[in-house]
Formats: sequence, C-alpha cells, structure tokens
Amino acid sequence: MLVLSRAAYDEILTHAEAGGAAEVCGVLAGERTDDGTARVDAVHRAENVADHPRTRYRIDPEEQLAIIERIEDAGREVVGFYHSHPEGPPVPSRTDAERAAWPGYSYAICVPGDRPYLGSWRWTGEQFDREAVALRPE
Amino acid sequence: MEVTVELVGEGERTVSVPADADYAAVVRELGYSPHEVTVLVDGSPVPEDAPVDADHVRVLRLIAGG
Repeated sequence: MLVLSRAAYDEILTHAEAGGAAEVCGVLAGERTDDGTARVDAVHRAENVADHPRTRYRIDPEEQLAIIERIEDAGREVVGFYHSHPEGPPVPSRTDAERAAWPGYSYAICVPGDRPYLGSWRWTGEQFDREAVALRPE
Repeated sequence: MEVTVELVGEGERTVSVPADADYAAVVRELGYSPHEVTVLVDGSPVPEDAPVDADHVRVLRLIAGG
C-alpha cells in the first residue's frame, strides 16, 4: 500500500497539471512500515530530461543522486517514484516495465485533468503489481 | 580485480571482474543491464564501455519510463 499525506498527494497532482502535455516525474520520500506499507511524507520534483517528454520520462542521474542524498539527509528514505501520463492510460506502459529498475519500490502514475487519477504499482523485478493508494489524515 | 560497488539505495557489495573489464561488466555482475543504470566514479558518470579504473564505484539505477 502507498499512503500519502494530503500535501504529498496534492503536490503530485499540481506537478502533473503544470506539466501540460509533457510527462512530469519525481521521487517519493518517507518511510516503510513493518508491513511493507510505503508512507510518503515528501515529494521531490525532478526535471524530465527524456528526449521525448510527451511520451517518456527520465531523471538526470546527477539530479537523482542529489535528491536521494537530500532525502537521506532529512532522515527519510526513498519509497518510490511518480510520473504522469498526460493523455493516459492510468496504468504502467510497456516502456515503464522495460525501464523499471527498483524492485520493491512504488511507481505511482498520475493522470491529470478535471478528474485526476493517481494509482500505484510495486515493481517486483518482473512485473508491476497494483497496490492500494490511501490518503492519511494530516 | 575486485571492485567495491555501492548500489545506491541497497548498500555495498564487492564484485570480481577481469583486469581488462569495462564498467558494463561490473554492472552485469550486479545483475543489471547497462541501460538500467549509471556508473559514477568520484561523483561523475563514466561511460559503460570505459575500462574499469577505480576500486570503488557507485551504481545508480535509473528512474525512467514512458
């Protein structure tokens, strides 16, 4: 399960909306509980440096490393990542599966719009397993 | 030769590669393919096909998709 603070959820949706036709991406920071739940306390936006940002996303490795170090310095851990599908679909794409490299981590996908959607999947190393997404009270 | 690898987010491990190995060989020893990761030496990315010239590297799994 992926549990987000309201502020984290809003930040992802705001970022996705601001991206317009381009995909946006970022890193989810928080902690893992003993039952495997990923609790997200902070959202770190990253620049999408993919060559074709309408249909691809990629975080520059040096920015990624800086974000991870910032998260660890704050006493948190990386629990997952997010990106948007401006035109849908609200599920991981084949490219998402081909490029996924963090087994056990959450990959959240946001579809912005009048009725925004946020779903999340855990990468097993072989496939994406859908997980529940919940908001927790502040 | 032995190379100490910090797989960012997972911790350190040591891998053995031939003396003339490139960084792609180090990555494959970890169980990843070179297109999934970036290898960093002293904080800077190095080409996958460059010969290994460091005894300590960091390997960063990429965050990418579509």
